[in-house]
Amino acid sequence: MSLLQLKEATIRFGGLTAVNAVSFEIQPGQLFGLIGPNGAGKTTCFNLITGVYKPTSGDILFEGQPIAGTPPNKIASRGICRTFQNIRLFKSMSVLENVVTAGFLRHKTSLLSSLLYTPAVIKETKELEAEAMQLLKAVSLDHVAHVCSADLSYGMQRRLEIARAMATQPKLLLLDEPAAGMNPQEKQDLNGMVRNIREQFGLTVLLIEHDMRFVMSLCEQIVVLDHGEEIAQGGPDEIRNDPKVIAAYLGEPA
Amino acid sequence: MFLPIGGVELSTLPQQLVDGLLLGFIYALIALGYTMVYGVLKLINFAHGEVFMIGAYCALFTSWALGYIPNNTLGAGQWWMLIVMLVASMVGCGLLGMTIERFAYRPLRNQPRIASLITAIGLSLLLQYGGQIFLPLNQNIDSKINPAAGAFTIALGGGKAVDTATLKNTLQQKQAAFDEYLKRTKADPFNLDADGKKIRSEAQAAERDLKNAADTGKGTTLVIPYGKVIAMIATIFLMMGLTYLVMYTKRGRAMRAVSHDFDAASLMGINVNSIVTFTFLLGSVMAGAGAMMVATFYAGAKIDTFFGMVFGVKAFVAAVLGGIGNIPGAVLGGLLMGLTEGLVSWLGFTAYKDAVAFVVLIVVLLLRPGGLLGSAKVEKV
Amino acid sequence: MKGFWPVRLGSIGLAIVGAFLIDQLSRGNDFTQRLVVLAALYVTLAVSLNLINGITGQFSMGHAAFYMVGAYTAAISTLFHPDLAAKNPLLWLLGMMVFGAVMAGFAGLLVGVPSLRLRGDYLAIVTLGFGEIVRIVANNVKFGTKGGSYGFSVDVHVTAVWLAWLFAFFAIAICRNLLSTARGLTFLAVREDETASLAMGVNVTQTKVTAFVIGAALAGGAGAILAHFEGFASSNMFTMDVSFIIVTMVVLGGTGSITGAVVAAVLLFFVPEKMRDLPDMPIGGITAFFILTGLVVAALRYVSQHYHGAASRKAMLYSGVVVLGIVIAAILGVALNAIPAVKAVPLVEGAKLRLVVFAVTLIVLMLLRPQGIFGKSEFSWDWFRRLGKKSEAVLS
Ligand SMILES: Nc1ncnc2c1ncn2[C@@H]1O[C@H](COP(=O)(O)OP(=O)(O)OP(=O)(O)O)[C@@H](O)[C@H]1O
Ligand SMILES: [Mg+2]
Repeated sequence: MSLLQLKEATIRFGGLTAVNAVSFEIQPGQLFGLIGPNGAGKTTCFNLITGVYKPTSGDILFEGQPIAGTPPNKIASRGICRTFQNIRLFKSMSVLENVVTAGFLRHKTSLLSSLLYTPAVIKETKELEAEAMQLLKAVSLDHVAHVCSADLSYGMQRRLEIARAMATQPKLLLLDEPAAGMNPQEKQDLNGMVRNIREQFGLTVLLIEHDMRFVMSLCEQIVVLDHGEEIAQGGPDEIRNDPKVIAAYLGEPA
Repeated sequence: MFLPIGGVELSTLPQQLVDGLLLGFIYALIALGYTMVYGVLKLINFAHGEVFMIGAYCALFTSWALGYIPNNTLGAGQWWMLIVMLVASMVGCGLLGMTIERFAYRPLRNQPRIASLITAIGLSLLLQYGGQIFLPLNQNIDSKINPAAGAFTIALGGGKAVDTATLKNTLQQKQAAFDEYLKRTKADPFNLDADGKKIRSEAQAAERDLKNAADTGKGTTLVIPYGKVIAMIATIFLMMGLTYLVMYTKRGRAMRAVSHDFDAASLMGINVNSIVTFTFLLGSVMAGAGAMMVATFYAGAKIDTFFGMVFGVKAFVAAVLGGIGNIPGAVLGGLLMGLTEGLVSWLGFTAYKDAVAFVVLIVVLLLRPGGLLGSAKVEKV
Repeated sequence: MKGFWPVRLGSIGLAIVGAFLIDQLSRGNDFTQRLVVLAALYVTLAVSLNLINGITGQFSMGHAAFYMVGAYTAAISTLFHPDLAAKNPLLWLLGMMVFGAVMAGFAGLLVGVPSLRLRGDYLAIVTLGFGEIVRIVANNVKFGTKGGSYGFSVDVHVTAVWLAWLFAFFAIAICRNLLSTARGLTFLAVREDETASLAMGVNVTQTKVTAFVIGAALAGGAGAILAHFEGFASSNMFTMDVSFIIVTMVVLGGTGSITGAVVAAVLLFFVPEKMRDLPDMPIGGITAFFILTGLVVAALRYVSQHYHGAASRKAMLYSGVVVLGIVIAAILGVALNAIPAVKAVPLVEGAKLRLVVFAVTLIVLMLLRPQGIFGKSEFSWDWFRRLGKKSEAVLS
């Protein structure tokens, strides 16, 4: 059974069809790419999958269960977590606190025990912090754990977003342009990091990226969107040579 | 012996509605200041009510300067005196508004908005309580200064001739019968048996008939003081002027640009500071005009440093009701507030008048989170 | 958990000792006692509103309403069960605190639900409106001849300074505990970014409503104490101004900082109260005071924006500015008073200046330190440790 399946997912904003009957399937363990020119509807696809928007029509299945229209926090607890294209960290919190917050999804103690700060809560908080440190190590941010997250460099903030999403222990991780604004060296590190994370935590990754070299070297399967429509799907080599994809990126051939 | 039938009297409705509507124009005028400032700065200017209060004082002092000091022996005033008072309070308020913007809000413009909000609350307290030290309290503008002292009286519904005499007669008979019944049986009037109830309800029916007949016979008269009509007309002219300024002048266009997107407007070379100052000037001038008219034409308006509080809150609610930041919305909100108040007073819930205003506001906001004419912004993810 | 119970019992013990110490110190003078109780209540109010406004980021401006619900619950219950109340006043008050908190918590729920649909200013306006509605309704509540705009007298007096402070400490402890846990961080997360919080699995709805209910319940408990301390509860004790003052305490302290809320509550409460003792003042002096304030604020802002040098020189400049301002103002005051017309104006009562000084403090603090006294930081024992280290370094 596929992990995530979009079936003819469609959403309209007024007259604009941002995503039009898009279908694809992601198998467990895959590194899956979603590409397309600006405004193609990639981020909107993420918003549909994570419950920010409800599709106008079509279905989205996660582990065989329909999730369209489920509130975002419920979807997160089912095991889908994401990063944001326009970084959305909890700015006033420290790096560590950002990750601990996301780990709260797996808390077991009650509100009352939090208010009274019982031994069980103290223990749980310690555990969450330890796990968070582990994740920060995986994205090599452990040395800045107590720095305010707003003070990090752009590349570091992107990595923190990944660590934060990982803290919810998702089955499917969605990365929205994780390499945007990074220099070539950082991109290469990120490439290794994503592979590493997948191995270490047994994740499935769906990512949006504009850097073709990055996508082609990382992803095993790729879907191409243009103007909300799905125009191609396949392995990196198929996509590279697909005339429709080339036309979409370079404009119609004369 | 009898409870009044129905708590409301239809004949007072038109008067209450007209009064409410007239007041609504004033609310609208003040609401414009709230809405325009919110439009450009996204700041709720809590000191606006106090600007209004200072406007009333300007009018008061001008009237004193014109000789209408307390216990004067002058006759009716002249039209030009009203105009001088109006201009004085508009100028006074305009200056005050610009000063407040320059020295209290501008230094905080790049700070979290809550800082400006607290400063606004502080300014409002400062003007209220600081004013107590420097300003005379509990003053009235001499109503003689208004040359148009009379009022329109309009008869509505014409007096149809109805024979009430027979009805009155019937009522008396029925009442007598009921009293006699009570006397005879020594029954508790609040705990009657079937017979007693029947007699009582007959008596009540007779009373109702008489009352209805009297209502249709009486007709209703509307009393509208000339002053309030002048205030309304002036308000309409001011609003037209404002609309022209905002819609058809270069400055107005710049103002709308700033209110649409503050940063983009400044990047496009608009002098944002001067536009913000201009906005405060306009809003405060409107408040000044409103203050002069309330202080002069609304009998019994005692001027003290809390003069702006009730009007400020009402106008603020009106601005939000219409969709804060939206100029036609403020006018609509003001008029609706006035009408609602009239309606509530007519229903006999005067004690709850202010609460009802807020209830309406909350209901509207829950149904339309951006107000009646405003639109709530959707954040893109 | 090693070391848990000693620390926990130690802090509880410290709170109890502290509360009783305050109680003992304030004895003997009714006026002082009243101030000390009210200060505790304002601390509770500021800390509880800080949970809603500062920590969860839901801009609420109707906190006085929750305070009032608590006070009215206590007052009306006492009206209906005077004998029960008189039997054991302290126990009754404790019961009323719980009951008041529950009722206020319900009110919090009622306000918290619209907060789900509204944001920012609109929420502020709705909560403000809610506060007014509750007040006006309370103003018209009558049981027989009792109530209405005169309010209710509460015939069971309880003067328990210690209880007021213990409750304030309780409120502080609850908020601080919460913030030390992962659950507390989710409250901050809702303030920072709702969309991101949702994506991380935070139940934003539940978090907001929880903040409203807890904040309101604490205010309700404080209301019950107030009613039994003052011996009456009337709607004009809970006007919009009270809500504004509480919001101001939260913002002045530093939005989100519990320490800030406590310090600002005490400061903003005591400064105006102390003004009651001020002697009568000539109007020239007051005018000079206003001018002084304006000058000093302008100069301080100028220095902080234009001088980028050694911290010690900056501090010297600051103090120089203040001293110079005072000198100028003193000269001006004397000069103004020399004018016969000014001198003829009768002296202004010191008490009248109370709220003026309050307002000026507010504006000045905002202009000089818009992020609040404490910003977002909290009190911590580390400060002393660091201070200690510094002095050690100096000594060696
Ligand atoms: N909430 C919304 N309301 C209206 N239009 C929207 C909304 N969200 C997205 N759109 C529109 O949908 C289209 C697709 O946007 P989307 O953000 O998905 O593009 P994208 O593929 O992620 O582009 P980019 O590479 O620039 O990030 C755009 O035209 C955008 O303006
Ligand atoms: Mg995108």
